Amino acid sequence: MTRALRDYLVFLRRCGRIAFVGDWRYYLWMGVLTVFCLLGLNAYAKQLVNGLITTGMSDQVSWGVYIANFTFLVGVAAAAVMMVIPVYIYDNEELHDLVIFGELLAVAAILMCLAFVTVDLGRPDRFWHLIPGLGQLNFPASMLSWDVIVLNGYLLLNVHICGYLLYCRYRDMKPSQWFYIPFVFVAIGWAVSIHTVTAFLYVGLGGRPFWNSSIVGPRFIASAFTAGPALIILALQIIRRVTEYHITDRALLTLRGIVQVSMLINVFLLVNEVFKEFYTGNSVASSQYLYVGLHGYHALVPWIWTAITFNLVAMFLLVLPLSRSLKWLNLTCVLCIVGIWIEKGMGLVIPGFIPTPLGQIVEYRPSLNETLICVGIWAFGLLSYTVFLRMSVPILQGRLAKTNESLPDPGMDGAPASLAAKP
Amino acid sequence: MDRRSFLRTSAVLASGLAALAASLSPLRKLDDYVSLERFVQKYYKELTPEEMKQVLKRIENEVERQYGIRPHVRDLKPMDGVEYVYALNLTRCIGCRKCVHACVQENNLSRTPEIQYIRVLKMPHGSLDVEKGEHNYAPESVPEKGFFYMPVQCQQCKNPPCVKVCPVHATWQETDGITVVDYDWCIGCRYCEAACPYWARRFNFTQPSIPKERINPDMAYLGNRPRRQGVMEKCHFCIQRTRVGRYPACLEVCPAGARKFGNILDPNSEVSYILRTKRVFIQLKEELGTSPRFFYYFDT
Amino acid sequence: MDQPSAEDDQRGLPTGYQQRPHRMNSRFKATLVLRGLVVLFVGLAAAFLLNLWGRPAPLHPIPLVDPAFLDTATVRRSYADLVRAKEDLSDFDCYACHEKNKPPVLRYDEHQNLLIPREHSDIVMGHGQHGRNNNCFNCHNETNLELLQTRDGRQVKFADSSQLCGSCHGPTYEDWEVGAHGRISGYWNRSRGPIKRQDCVNCHNPHAPPFPSRPPAPGPHLLHELAEAPVPAATAH
Ligand code: SF4
Ligand code: SF4
Repeated sequence: MTRALRDYLVFLRRCGRIAFVGDWRYYLWMGVLTVFCLLGLNAYAKQLVNGLITTGMSDQVSWGVYIANFTFLVGVAAAAVMMVIPVYIYDNEELHDLVIFGELLAVAAILMCLAFVTVDLGRPDRFWHLIPGLGQLNFPASMLSWDVIVLNGYLLLNVHICGYLLYCRYRDMKPSQWFYIPFVFVAIGWAVSIHTVTAFLYVGLGGRPFWNSSIVGPRFIASAFTAGPALIILALQIIRRVTEYHITDRALLTLRGIVQVSMLINVFLLVNEVFKEFYTGNSVASSQYLYVGLHGYHALVPWIWTAITFNLVAMFLLVLPLSRSLKWLNLTCVLCIVGIWIEKGMGLVIPGFIPTPLGQIVEYRPSLNETLICVGIWAFGLLSYTVFLRMSVPILQGRLAKTNESLPDPGMDGAPASLAAKP
Repeated sequence: MDRRSFLRTSAVLASGLAALAASLSPLRKLDDYVSLERFVQKYYKELTPEEMKQVLKRIENEVERQYGIRPHVRDLKPMDGVEYVYALNLTRCIGCRKCVHACVQENNLSRTPEIQYIRVLKMPHGSLDVEKGEHNYAPESVPEKGFFYMPVQCQQCKNPPCVKVCPVHATWQETDGITVVDYDWCIGCRYCEAACPYWARRFNFTQPSIPKERINPDMAYLGNRPRRQGVMEKCHFCIQRTRVGRYPACLEVCPAGARKFGNILDPNSEVSYILRTKRVFIQLKEELGTSPRFFYYFDT
Repeated sequence: MDQPSAEDDQRGLPTGYQQRPHRMNSRFKATLVLRGLVVLFVGLAAAFLLNLWGRPAPLHPIPLVDPAFLDTATVRRSYADLVRAKEDLSDFDCYACHEKNKPPVLRYDEHQNLLIPREHSDIVMGHGQHGRNNNCFNCHNETNLELLQTRDGRQVKFADSSQLCGSCHGPTYEDWEVGAHGRISGYWNRSRGPIKRQDCVNCHNPHAPPFPSRPPAPGPHLLHELAEAPVPAATAH
């Protein structure tokens, strides 16, 4: 027992130490991310003191880029499962190890989600009111309480699955099916649920016709399963480039297949929505504001058309064989991610508030402080993901293992070797 | 580890920590969060009468310290056999906005930034579509020809969406029909604000400010005691007045007598009479199923 | 800068640990990056302490509303109000000018409009449409000017003027009696305290009853001074 515990602690310590070691590119990347994190932290400190008046939000537009980013990232987190499904259900060997990278991305995305929700709170000091037992969680009536449970649950699930698989690899044991396969299947269902619940957060508001529509949920899922794997395609290529971890092109192309189908569905649903809004001529005011502008106010119009253009171009690239070449695939992925980020943020959250339920039009523009906080959280997320990869890649390669416990960690014996030990 | 790399590592670490500490330096001015008493304060419904007494005293002290006025803060409970209903006569309202400002005065609402519970819409004749309403009308005098005026405030729904969505039960409906907020329990997520179809909820985006000379010292825990940064508030039918039997402030100030309030369970109340005898009355956005306790009606 | 040798880097590492041969200057670059970071962090710390950006814009105080808008007084004051306040009642002292038992003579122009004598020039005849109500003695008692009188001849005191109004405006009077028309204040719960009702003449000038117009109180202000829609449908001026 104590031996197992000791082993585990050694494992954690070695993982922790390795996160601080790398070559100059690693230091530069981590350093820059840290700088952005600090900028965000500083901005958040100002927000804590002065209140949310430091943001561009108001009683009219009471949610802004925080919740927009949150919504987008829930989608990214949910999409990690898109790699899990082929592996465990269709036994796609190609993607086997890559699942861990996907799930780590989910963990990082959930961490960002939690950060975005926290910075959006007016009284973060009262977070404990949400803890069942201590506080008063309004479950099951409030969709936000569902979200709190579902997100934290998803975080735990993924941390467990990745942690367990990595630890097994570290000890060079065969993972026991019972310890992770059930969780994997739960996680698959759970991933769909986190995004559905997040969609219901909006759909459940009868007073906001723009959100109160049954197509929002399916669109959430479709767009998540587009942007998430697209992000993973890019991440995998970066991993492949900076480490020696071998990732086949075929794996990337499998993911391309997922992005392809999801994007087609996504665009199809978009067409449905736009048709319903505009053909009958009784579109809700928010849709008008979003797509064509309302009473001379049209701050979001260029955004949404950019997003739609990106999505359409990406869709065409995806169906063409052209995007089998990685250069084009990367471009397509970037278009997907940016397009969907805009669509989810500027295109979904903000227009829901414009005009207000009393017909007042007040536009929203994020403030500098608010933007810095967002940048900080993104940097924090990337930092987390980098650290996760920094730990997991050597483990998967067998370079960080229990068998070499007595040896210096890869790149841990002083500065020179540490630089050399770049994975 | 050799000395050189040790020095280098410590330099990075030290400068990083310095930057971290400096980035948190604005927190020096953070005084709103530091009181332990406030941090651990219990949920309204879980406070024992003894604890409530303590809390009320603490609030009185805090208000006195901040505004130099000793207030009288009470925890008023709903009366038995009472369900409040508001009726507003759209034929009579002249759009003078006196109700808006009487409410601000009565309920200690922040003056800068401005928080107002009532919004008066100037509506073109012939439509009840709020999207046609104008919020910022400022003519020489009201009423103007061709328009009517529709004041909107919390409709005290029977089926309130804001209550349903609040993740921490910080807002709920009392037995007399008033939906209240526990300002010491709200976490400021603003979900209720997104859920309200009548745009009736207001958030304290920063510390509210009320001039000392305009403080109303007659306060209620669930009513008009001063709020803090980061919490939600809303119209509560002047709990500090109505729960001792008085009329709300907006009603008493209305020069046109457009506002009517009372106990719908009492058949002799004005509101019972109105709902019995007036042919048309309107619940705003009735189709949403919120079932407001606020009725608009017309006469002659 | 020290130049590590390749062997230096690889010392003592077992197979599988060996790194891809890297360029000699990678350590130099790392040092450079770390130094750069130190400078950056120190600069950042200074910038944070000096609070260089993101200072919240000071809020321009919104002028306090004129207390006149908070006044709960009625538009007009009734005879009863004046009596209660022991104020000047000379307006109601008809026989200071008129002669007792001698009904005043009414004069009309060619369109049957009542000609208002100079002494009563403050009176605007605006009760009812189409000049139908152009006779003072529809409401005032001809023989005793200090009394009012309904159309069917019932005499009413100035203090009870609302009854006179009710003699024509039946449904409104009914509403008024239960408190559904007109201003009220005090207690909705009659067991806790009294309700105060107003008379018709507290709001309506009996000679020109339509409710007077007045300047509106100031409109709302936005949290941030961003643009806001003047909704076209409602801007009719
Ligand atoms: S802002 Fe406060 S009252 Fe409103 S939903 Fe959130 S916690 Fe509840
Ligand atoms: S005070 Fe009365 S008349 Fe004036 S806006 Fe309010 S409800 Fe209308």
